[in-house]
Amino acid sequence: MKLTMLAVFVLTIFVSGCATTEKPMYDYGTYSESFYAMKKDAGAETVGEWKMALENIINESNQEALRVPPGVYANLGYIHLKANNTEKAISYFEQEQQTYPESEIFMSNLIKKSNLQGNDKL
Amino acid sequence: MKRFLKNVIITIVPVIFLSACVAPTLVTKESEFPGMYIEKPKSLLIMPPINLSTAADAKDYYSTTVEMPVAFQGYYTLPYEITSEVLKQQGVYDSELVYDMPLNKFYEYFGADAVLFTKIKKWDTSYVVVSSSLTVSIDAEIKSTKTSQVLWKYNGTVIVDLSGGNGGGLVGLLASAIVTAINTASADYTTYARQANGRFVGTIPVGPYHPMYLKDQQDKIIQQ
Repeated sequence: MKLTMLAVFVLTIFVSGCATTEKPMYDYGTYSESFYAMKKDAGAETVGEWKMALENIINESNQEALRVPPGVYANLGYIHLKANNTEKAISYFEQEQQTYPESEIFMSNLIKKSNLQGNDKL
Repeated sequence: MKRFLKNVIITIVPVIFLSACVAPTLVTKESEFPGMYIEKPKSLLIMPPINLSTAADAKDYYSTTVEMPVAFQGYYTLPYEITSEVLKQQGVYDSELVYDMPLNKFYEYFGADAVLFTKIKKWDTSYVVVSSSLTVSIDAEIKSTKTSQVLWKYNGTVIVDLSGGNGGGLVGLLASAIVTAINTASADYTTYARQANGRFVGTIPVGPYHPMYLKDQQDKIIQQ
């Protein structure tokens, strides 16, 4: 009888020890690998992979109900800004700002910059 | 030669023993970095690394490893790819130039509460006949954009022994020389840079996105 009690007790400790798996804060996917590849050899291919890595992070984070990591929306916006997709760029900068209020000053500067660039095209 | 080797061994062995005796001093995060708890910065601007190593490409490669660990420590990290380009457009090619300047303009344009400076002190491989070791050493510092004061600073160093196991005799020496050459060629510095980051990032009082925010004052760290 005492032995079973002990067994139950020990088991409980083990089981409860396993149950505390905390959710990670962010899912950065292949952020730093693709960033590194782009720094090592900047070209259409590595820039394309960097863009895809950023888009994947957003999809995965949404599926896992995680906050999109700092800078991911902004980086995507910047890629669109460079490709002259002003509207898309601005919408990503706005998403960064909504997710992280700390980014407001910088994002509004980038949005101003995007609007200027958009006007140049007309 | 034999005598030389003997001398080397006599010198090295006590050094190993002595260095093992130095006990690290443990301090709390709050006593070491009180400014972080007073100012409570939320957003960090990661400056382009200051490269003091002999490897010219270390700056670009190292810069890709910094954002993630700092974000996991609970801070809003401004997107480095964009901020570094903006800084270049503003003529800031070298972070060393702005290090001693008032930092308030980094709040005005980027909205950064504080700035993270990193200095690459070592990023190289040293060869000693049949053995070689790789060293990555980083000094890191957080400075306030309000007061330009240092709020936190720490060093992370990783030394990796790249020589494979030592076999006996001449054949063993040759074999390990080859292993050393192969290991060195394929050594990916960023892997070790991440480990070096791991040695200092954890000592930063955590930021607002971390569950332990403002609850880690009594956490112990090794004093440097």
